[in-house]
Amino acid sequence: MTSRALAWRTAAAEPARAALAIAGVAVIGALLFDMLMLSQGLLVSFREMLDTSGYDVRVVASDVFPARVDLTNASEVAADIARLPEVRQVTIVRTDRAVVLVPGRAPTDVALLNLSPGAERQGWRIVDGADLGALGPQESAAPAVISRQLSRALGLSPGSPLPLRALASGAASALPIVGFTVVGIADFQFENDGPYVLATTFEAFQRARASVSSDTADVILVASRPSIDASATVAAIAGRRRDVHAFSNEQIVERFNENGFAYFRQISFVLSTITLGFAFLLVATLLTVAVNQRLGQVAALRALGVSRRRIASTLVWESALLVGTGGLLSLPLGWILALGLDRILRDMPNIPDALHFFVFEPRLALWHLALLAATGLAAAVYPVWVATRLPIAATLRFETVS
Amino acid sequence: MGPAARTIISLGVGGLVTAVIIGSTLVTSSVAQDNPPGVSAPQVLLSRQLLREADVRVGDLVTVAADADGSRGVSFRVVGVYEPTPDPRKFSAQRLEARLHLPDLMALTEEAADPASADAVSAINLALVDRGNADGVGAAIARRVPGTRVASTEPSADPNDLFVVLDRFHWAIAIVTVTGSTAFLLALMVMRAEQRRDIIGILRLMGVSSRSILFEVLLEGLLIAVAGALFGVLLAVASQGAINRFFQWRFDTTLVFVRVTAAIAWKAVAFAVPLGVAAGLAASWTLLRRSVVSLVGR
Repeated sequence: MTSRALAWRTAAAEPARAALAIAGVAVIGALLFDMLMLSQGLLVSFREMLDTSGYDVRVVASDVFPARVDLTNASEVAADIARLPEVRQVTIVRTDRAVVLVPGRAPTDVALLNLSPGAERQGWRIVDGADLGALGPQESAAPAVISRQLSRALGLSPGSPLPLRALASGAASALPIVGFTVVGIADFQFENDGPYVLATTFEAFQRARASVSSDTADVILVASRPSIDASATVAAIAGRRRDVHAFSNEQIVERFNENGFAYFRQISFVLSTITLGFAFLLVATLLTVAVNQRLGQVAALRALGVSRRRIASTLVWESALLVGTGGLLSLPLGWILALGLDRILRDMPNIPDALHFFVFEPRLALWHLALLAATGLAAAVYPVWVATRLPIAATLRFETVS
Repeated sequence: MGPAARTIISLGVGGLVTAVIIGSTLVTSSVAQDNPPGVSAPQVLLSRQLLREADVRVGDLVTVAADADGSRGVSFRVVGVYEPTPDPRKFSAQRLEARLHLPDLMALTEEAADPASADAVSAINLALVDRGNADGVGAAIARRVPGTRVASTEPSADPNDLFVVLDRFHWAIAIVTVTGSTAFLLALMVMRAEQRRDIIGILRLMGVSSRSILFEVLLEGLLIAVAGALFGVLLAVASQGAINRFFQWRFDTTLVFVRVTAAIAWKAVAFAVPLGVAAGLAASWTLLRRSVVSLVGR
């Protein structure tokens, strides 16, 4: 009988114990798998979100990005950048905070958004009604495309009137209410300020802010030409404009990695270490107790001529059976658990729809299985040592007498 | 002193000013070369992190400017260093900050084109007569000064609040960990019960009732569970200092990351003890249901 078959028979002889050990490894393994997904999840998701937006360079006013500093003369800066041979498309993004005052409903905070004309298709996808440019100025002087969540929360549909007051930050004054009309409902790409978004034209945006002369923006998004690398575009913008700062998507991800995601990286590291330690203890204790329970059996096998190597191999196989089965089960279990944990964390304020905390990558599954395998091997070391160093005659005599 | 080094910092007001008003203006600081003759420089406090980053000492003169290009700079005398108030929302941020007197800050950040800038602040901290009336005060301020945002320092009940969400996340992780450890505990208890099969069989042969044996198992399980739970709490208490010191070193902050409170210790015990007892009982119950003959291996 091979070592593997012997290990299988030993595990099958105590099905309850084996099942409980596998269940323990599966649950702990699921947590380990989740922590591995969490360690890089936000970064991967954030990078995907930036890349899928279609822009590879962000231009802002300050190098302390992501701190928000108004970029002045935005139209002139954007036009200058658009003239660079490396640049394919330039979009100005303006945002502000506002309160929607629908009669019979509680005042609702929204993010007021304006993109330069032509960029709407990349900013949002209309799911009902029309886009901003679809209606003539006589039909709606202040058209609004709103997010699905805002539409649901306030029961708004295309054609609904929408009174709105922009919040004048830093000023102790109230701006006048501007009457918007909902022309469309959309899924938004930009939801950095929460799920309640209202996009409008530049004219209506300025009217809501009671401003006619100001030409500020939060950020200018730049898409490089297909053959041009983002770093070349960043260098070209830096050469052309000294008053702004350009960052490639890669640089932004790096910057967020340094500061923004530290908490989740740390907690995933701490919990991964704890879960690995726990899995080690679980398997090592179970195997050690199991070996102690059948010392007589092991001594008898040795007396029959079974080599130390084969005894050790049997125990390693037994460990592999418990950890391997538990580890494989932990993958789907971890996936389900990750969905639940992700849902909990996405309740945080201002988390865009496209951002996820737990993101699956095939290499993570391999890492997870490799870590569990190493843990299983390490856990088998002590029981193997006990079983192979057993004094055969003394053990048999003790087992017989007792 | 070497060439002037520029460091982006955030600027606030505090110290001798009665109303503590925290600003958040971004400024550029550079170490000044000379003392302004005949003029006593206004005073500034620098955060411990800024003092180290800018390689400045108490007593040095530094130039602080509100403009990114360093124009309209004012010389300040560094009169002290302070530890920034720990803020869990900023724990990973480098706290490069300075505090100066309110008139100095206003003079520094005032813009000629905007007369209102001389009287603008980022936030006002209030101490209420009745702490329980924060919502009422907030509503009253919102009515009188439209556009302001009022937030209480009391823990939020909003289910979407950052720390409420993190609390739920930690609870979920704790439940998963407890589930895994329960399976571990049950497996161990089953093995332990199997080990004592002969003894239980002999006790049953001697006439000891199943109920008495079960009671003994219950008591034993209770003792082990209480001892285990207490050991866990003591381990947490003993290790919290090391964990805090590591993360305080890692993030250069005085923020307390782990604190084992009495409530948390009680919660841990309340979880662990019933689980330990139940696991012991469940494992022994499988043995007690068997016949005496099978227990003694006949």
